[in-house]
Amino acid sequence: MVSAEDILDINVRKRSQVQVVQLRGPLRMGPAVDGLRQIMEEALGSGETRIVLNLAEVSMIDSSGIGLLVRFLASTKQRGGNIKLVQPNKFAVQTLRLVGVLNLFEIFDDDDVAVESFA
Amino acid sequence: MSPESSSGPENSALSELLDLRMPADSEAIAAVVDTISETLARLEVPEQKRFEVALAVQEALANAVVHGCGNDPSKQVRCRLQSDPRGRIVIIVTDPGPGFSPDLLPDPNRRENVYADHGRGVYLIRQLMDEVHFEHSGNEIRMWKY
Repeated sequence: MVSAEDILDINVRKRSQVQVVQLRGPLRMGPAVDGLRQIMEEALGSGETRIVLNLAEVSMIDSSGIGLLVRFLASTKQRGGNIKLVQPNKFAVQTLRLVGVLNLFEIFDDDDVAVESFA
Repeated sequence: MSPESSSGPENSALSELLDLRMPADSEAIAAVVDTISETLARLEVPEQKRFEVALAVQEALANAVVHGCGNDPSKQVRCRLQSDPRGRIVIIVTDPGPGFSPDLLPDPNRRENVYADHGRGVYLIRQLMDEVHFEHSGNEIRMWKY
């Protein structure tokens, strides 16, 4: 059973050797986290380690989503890459701060600046 | 009284707002969380408080499904939403599992756990809610928001 509210739209495009992943919806345990995990595993599997995650339309990140983000942050950094966040809303920032991982991520106001920061 | 053994504010006449049951399936969690959020919105609970309650319920249900029921959808998780006359709310999540000892959970803020992909759920609940109590050997959690 998947409720309409549980769907996470994931849009991936490539710009200047950077994977830009746009998310829309709650990033929480279930299909949402499973879907993003698959995208991230495919990216790493094809050697993509420079990733921008646009969170502007992510309404919630639960501990399962946080676990996914920090796990892949570690994986990309081990390969010389990074995951950079764009426009997390105040609730996402609060959640990341509460569990002590906010300062692991670089955060940007828009995709362009985040992509350029990899240059 | 230990905060782990008390069920919360005493002498409160609680009104039952919701009594929901869901299969122990991670895909069933969102609908319960969203039903609770919508109920709180109708009660004009502020957005910040609704968000904090919703995320705490998300975490409690995830723990019940994964750890209490072993992801077995033939098992049931119960989730109740109650309020007292002062407008304080309590969410009670119960699973049929053997329970656990919350004091034995690792601290997610320790250096060796920062990049762990799990182990933040109960910590997050405690940060988001005003009082958290574990009952019945840990297979029931009562989470208060004032």
